Amino acid sequence: MTSNARPGASRRAVLKGGLMGAAALAGGAAASRAAASESVITEIQDWNRYPGDGVDARPYGTPSPFEAHVVRKNVPWLTSDTISSINFTPLHELDGIITPSGLCFERHHSGVAEIDPASHRLMIHGLVEKPLVFTMADLKRFPRENRVYFLECAANTGMEWRGAQLNGCQFTHGMLHCLMYTGVRLKHLLDEAGVKAEGKWLLAEGADASGMSRSIPLDKAMDDCLVAFGMNGEALRPEQGYPIRLVVPGWEGNMWVKWLRRLEIGDQPWQHREETSKYTDLMANGKARRFTFEMDVKSVITNPSPQAPILHGRGPLVLSGLAWSGKGRISRVDVTTDGGRNWTTARLDGPSLPKALHRFYHEFDWDGSELFLQSRAIDEHGFVQPTKDQLRSVRGANSIYHNNGIQTWHVNSDGVIENVEIS
Amino acid sequence: MWKSPKAILLAATLIAGAIGGAEAQDIEAGEKVFAKCKACHMVGENAKNRVGPVLNGIVGRAAATIEGFKYSPAMSKAGADGLVWDETSLAGYLHDPKAYLKGNKMAFAGLKKDEDVVNVIAYLASFGADGKPAVPGKQSAAPAPDATQTATAEPAAPSPETTGSVADGERGLGRAATPEEIAAWDTDVRPDGVGLPEGSGTVAHGMEIYDERCATCHGDFGEAVGRWPVLAGGQGTLQAERPEKTIGSYWPYLSTVFDYVHRAMPFGDARSLGNDDVYALTAYLLYLNDIVDDEEFELSKDNFTSIRLPNEENFFDDDREQEPFYADRSEPCMTDCRPGAAAITMHAAVLDVTPEDGGEENASGGGID
Ligand code: HEC
Ligand code: HEC
Repeated sequence: MTSNARPGASRRAVLKGGLMGAAALAGGAAASRAAASESVITEIQDWNRYPGDGVDARPYGTPSPFEAHVVRKNVPWLTSDTISSINFTPLHELDGIITPSGLCFERHHSGVAEIDPASHRLMIHGLVEKPLVFTMADLKRFPRENRVYFLECAANTGMEWRGAQLNGCQFTHGMLHCLMYTGVRLKHLLDEAGVKAEGKWLLAEGADASGMSRSIPLDKAMDDCLVAFGMNGEALRPEQGYPIRLVVPGWEGNMWVKWLRRLEIGDQPWQHREETSKYTDLMANGKARRFTFEMDVKSVITNPSPQAPILHGRGPLVLSGLAWSGKGRISRVDVTTDGGRNWTTARLDGPSLPKALHRFYHEFDWDGSELFLQSRAIDEHGFVQPTKDQLRSVRGANSIYHNNGIQTWHVNSDGVIENVEIS
Repeated sequence: MWKSPKAILLAATLIAGAIGGAEAQDIEAGEKVFAKCKACHMVGENAKNRVGPVLNGIVGRAAATIEGFKYSPAMSKAGADGLVWDETSLAGYLHDPKAYLKGNKMAFAGLKKDEDVVNVIAYLASFGADGKPAVPGKQSAAPAPDATQTATAEPAAPSPETTGSVADGERGLGRAATPEEIAAWDTDVRPDGVGLPEGSGTVAHGMEIYDERCATCHGDFGEAVGRWPVLAGGQGTLQAERPEKTIGSYWPYLSTVFDYVHRAMPFGDARSLGNDDVYALTAYLLYLNDIVDDEEFELSKDNFTSIRLPNEENFFDDDREQEPFYADRSEPCMTDCRPGAAAITMHAAVLDVTPEDGGEENASGGGID
């Protein structure tokens, strides 16, 4: 390291310092045009003078040390053990629609299985003409497809059913990522085995120590599901199911079985633990919805947000966020700065792909006053993201899953931001 | 409305005939049918709009999206409302253009024979958006731009066309799975008892195994140690402020207990329990949940399905689309939507949630799953 800055310095320290700086500058935006000379310009810097690392210093490239705070984070008290736990994507540090491979949230039920692809097999059996076993080499001889899809855990934002809980979109909305997958159509594999007419459901099972298993309607399996071995142009990461995972576009993340090893065809669902004890949505009347597979239309403002306060004082501000729907494309996102009294349509930028994240922006001049920021997504089928109160009025507060309610961030005059609920 | 039962029937025929893998002869037959359209439509690399729009890449394309073609208001509106030309919608439209979409200006009587419809769609599907041969079944290149989208977003750039096509049908890849291999992996059990292995075990025997291999995490009575899962109790709490969802209070089927314990427990040493052990543990979990009360009770393959869990009837299928805010698909309010200024009713309960700050021991929120 030739630099004298402090990579890896506590993010909080940086934030606190930044906030004070912002306060000092507040109101001085115009005056700052006439600032004194800066030493980063007038003095020769080390990087300007001495050569840096040669080509092979990082054979597999890593982010700048100044980005060391951009990491997945876990909330330790949520679960008993990191082996069956969750961490969250740092949405507030990202832009565009593709999540970098190393920042995709992780949810494992028995840790990350480490599998040599040479020892991995995928079996298809049950109501099929010919039970088959495929090696990885076999799978790569089927026609490949490249598709961009979001994956959201059904429990994303689940903590917020009972009201504002966690201060940061990483924690409220970070069980979410969007990747380009490379893989083969599940339909092609099933056709190879020949599904019998009685076949209506598919059981997908993982090779990890939790033996994750989910029942999936055959229609969905035959429609757009993939068996993926690639993400963002390279092999899947171990945390995402290396060597193969199931891709179930638009449907809850738990169904996208990682380390996929077995597909069984049957005539009814298996009612396994992850579709009975878990991933069923308890209503206020004590009854529970099941097979709530599809992810509803949803959005969140990622910047500014509690972990990404406004540090620059008043003046031009870029508000940005993500929107998505398990039913297809997002057609529109509206944003409000007054807590839902008045809405403005935001600007969507970048590719608009079905069942993928969409990026939105709204640029405005902040006058330093208090703001209540919200975003509201509308998908191509006309489904509008509901408010949390609308959801609670029908479902109560114990559903855990499928909370796609409108999120509120409160911005105070210092640019500090908090997760709140409002009238 | 552009969905008719007839169209759905036709679509079923189409799917049975697997458009994605249309046989060469279907495409050939479709080319002959297309003679009826040629007066008004062109396809291929040099296609231009005539009386009707260019039909390159039509399968998967949103309706009324060919630039420079003047569509009828009816067709433009259908496109803006989300009509996409897929096998179903095309089948309905080509079968009876007038009835399918009132007010559209395609002066064509329709194709009466289902196979003509199937074949002409197969033929159209063989052209990509640029008029070159298309790959069947790929994500539609041109997204449906939405007229309600007032944002300045550009629709996705069409993905580059691939040349050549993917044949469907068997490839002869993979090898036969042996019965022994299937038996080794296929341990799953269903509510109707399918998949249950031979075997049996008593409550008393289950207690011995449980105390040795499960109690450290799940507690002596299934009440759980720390944050490990609770396995028993909670009856009558499903409508309470803090429901406790356990095998006895929530789970609909006993088969799930057998299946799950067999595949995933004890945590850290999965798949180490024999079939008789799992029957015994399942019997003991019934006992801890007051569903059986006799320590000598023996659970076996034979009596397994006679046992029902108390909460079985309280599950219902997904009906979210009927919820008032989804059923009503109207335009949301844009101005003066709520009276008065916004006021905070609740602050984040857990302010410092980051690992550096440690967080709070007991959050008021629900668990993660
Ligand atoms: C007499 C002229 C005529 C004939 C014959 C005709 N069409 Fe059309 N077609 C039109 C016109 C005009 C439109 C535009 C309709 C509108 O805007 O309401 C159209 C629209 C369409 C569309 C919708 C295009 C889009 O971009 O949304 C499809 C698909 C189509 N025709 C297919 C066919 C097929 C297949 C045949 C033959 C089986 C056929 N048409 C025969 C004139 C014709
Ligand atoms: C080391 C701690 C530990 C031990 C020992 C253990 N379990 Fe578990 N058990 C867990 C964890 C952790 C989970 C949740 C796993 C997950 O996240 O998917 C669990 C889940 C369960 C569940 C599902 C609970 C629910 O509500 O969905 C059952 C049933 C269960 N265990 C039974 C057993 C039995 C029977 C044994 C003894 C053979 C056992 N466990 C031993 C930690 C343990």
